[in-house]
Amino acid sequence: MGGCTLTGALSVACFIPGAVTVVHAPKGCAHQTFSMLHALMNEAETRIVPEILVSGLSDKDVIFGGEDCLRQALDRAAEKKPELIIVVTSCVPETIGDDCLAVCREHPYAERTLYIPTSGFLGGSAKDGENAALIGLSALAEPADPVPGTVGIIGEKNLESEVEENFAEVQRLLDLLGLTVSVRFCRNAAVSDLRKLGTVSCFILRDGRCADAGRELSRRFSRPVVSGFPRGLSGSVSFLQETGKACGLSAEKIESAVLQETKYQKKMLERFANLAGSRVCLGAEPFEGTLTAAREALACLDMTESPNGINVRLPFYLPVGVSGTVKMLYLWRRAILHG
Amino acid sequence: MRQIALYGKGGIGKSTTSANLSAAFSEMGLDVMQIGCDPKHDSTRMLMHGRWIPTVLEQMYDHKEIRSEDIIYQGFGNIRCVEAGGPEPGIGCAGRGIIATFQLLEKMQALYGDVVVYDVLGDVVCGGFAMPMRDGYAQEVYLVTSGELMSLYAANNICKAIARISERSSAKCRLGGVICNAKNMDNEQGLVEEFAKRIGSKLVCFIPRSNSVRAAEVNRMTVIEHDPASNQAKVYRDCAKIILENTDLRIPTPLALEELEELAREYL
Repeated sequence: MGGCTLTGALSVACFIPGAVTVVHAPKGCAHQTFSMLHALMNEAETRIVPEILVSGLSDKDVIFGGEDCLRQALDRAAEKKPELIIVVTSCVPETIGDDCLAVCREHPYAERTLYIPTSGFLGGSAKDGENAALIGLSALAEPADPVPGTVGIIGEKNLESEVEENFAEVQRLLDLLGLTVSVRFCRNAAVSDLRKLGTVSCFILRDGRCADAGRELSRRFSRPVVSGFPRGLSGSVSFLQETGKACGLSAEKIESAVLQETKYQKKMLERFANLAGSRVCLGAEPFEGTLTAAREALACLDMTESPNGINVRLPFYLPVGVSGTVKMLYLWRRAILHG
Repeated sequence: MRQIALYGKGGIGKSTTSANLSAAFSEMGLDVMQIGCDPKHDSTRMLMHGRWIPTVLEQMYDHKEIRSEDIIYQGFGNIRCVEAGGPEPGIGCAGRGIIATFQLLEKMQALYGDVVVYDVLGDVVCGGFAMPMRDGYAQEVYLVTSGELMSLYAANNICKAIARISERSSAKCRLGGVICNAKNMDNEQGLVEEFAKRIGSKLVCFIPRSNSVRAAEVNRMTVIEHDPASNQAKVYRDCAKIILENTDLRIPTPLALEELEELAREYL
């Protein structure tokens, strides 16, 4: 997902039930950003209509200052009595120097208002916006003692297709370790759930895109961080090892989970035994890491890679765990057996 | 139509000089307009006998259909006075205000007469304050400075803006010269004269410090109106005449900071 910080911040902030997001920007910025999100929502078959209010900065506000405009938008948002008002900003208030933090703090709804300084293009890219939103929202949670056996998932891409399938795969692996997910930060998680962030014993990042947020959360809550969802087959095994270690599990427990996973992978790969000996030509790599996961699957199934082989596609997103690999193998089998 | 802009460091006396030049032009029988391009909107106050006229930016957003009489007010010598206005200090974007003002004046076809004098906020702090130099508005810029280093520094910065804008083929903006509004420093005239020479221009006028300026201001008038027979009034009239006759408009060559400091040291 491209665009400015506003796009990234909204892709995180829009998916918190009970929250209203105020975009302090000209209407055009919000429209443009939301159009992009809307297109992604359709693709991801998301049916949520996010509560977004735009302050609608005008030329007059640019000249005389947009703080009143933000104040009025906060008034409108507060009328809805949301659990939380999240304020994000475009580059315009940053350029003209609106003191958005002060406006948020002075507002009667300040207790339930969270200002996330995003600053549109001046704040960087969509990725920076996602990280700013994750870091900003983490302020809802107080540092607390970790509850053993719990983990928090950080930075799932709300508009990524198959986000729930990927989560299910991670959950399957965590089950092997006897771990439970107590918060998905921020995937359809109510404000009360977000406040539990400080109680988890370990953070699992969706991927390197939210590494900045991971570093900040680790520093703030003094918790270990697992750098990403598992990639492919061996990635699932190393995910079990890394997560188990991060959560302080015993070596026996981790080893037992790895054994179960190895058996499971073997069983899943048996389904594709009829692909053995096939020669395939892998397509272009959409994301770094996909090719490695694909080559690993090829080797496990005694398939070979050749420029003259049957053209098979690589999945657009990195295959998460075994389920992502299996989905990729189904695609390949269709191409190999049926053209 | 002559379009003249006075630029210089804040507090150097641009508004006083602009208003007195406008008054002098008017005495010559010219149709004059003065536009204050500063959020503090006091450029035309002496021409309006102390009245704070409504600013373009106030009126623009208060009226659905703005008329010329909402923003153009007649002052001393029938000079048409306009104040762009702008935000309170510390908020908003005054530069955008200047741009919006010019867009409106253009749309209303309000820029006419024999001479239009633009009195522009101190340093060219952003593109908005360079707006009068662009698009054929202020075709002649006069730098108002004293012999103080920071005042010369600001004037030198404005030269950079003029030089940059002049690079465009469509640009008509040129430097007309330097006006020294004296602070009674030693060697002040020589210093400013040399500065003007080094930037490839000339000193067009030396305005000595005078109590008649203070006297006129407390009486809410220009010197030309308050004390027309004074030496100071003559200085402003002479300056206005020189500017009207000036055809030597140039692209300046701004100095490096070290050179500027060296120059100031030479005239200590």
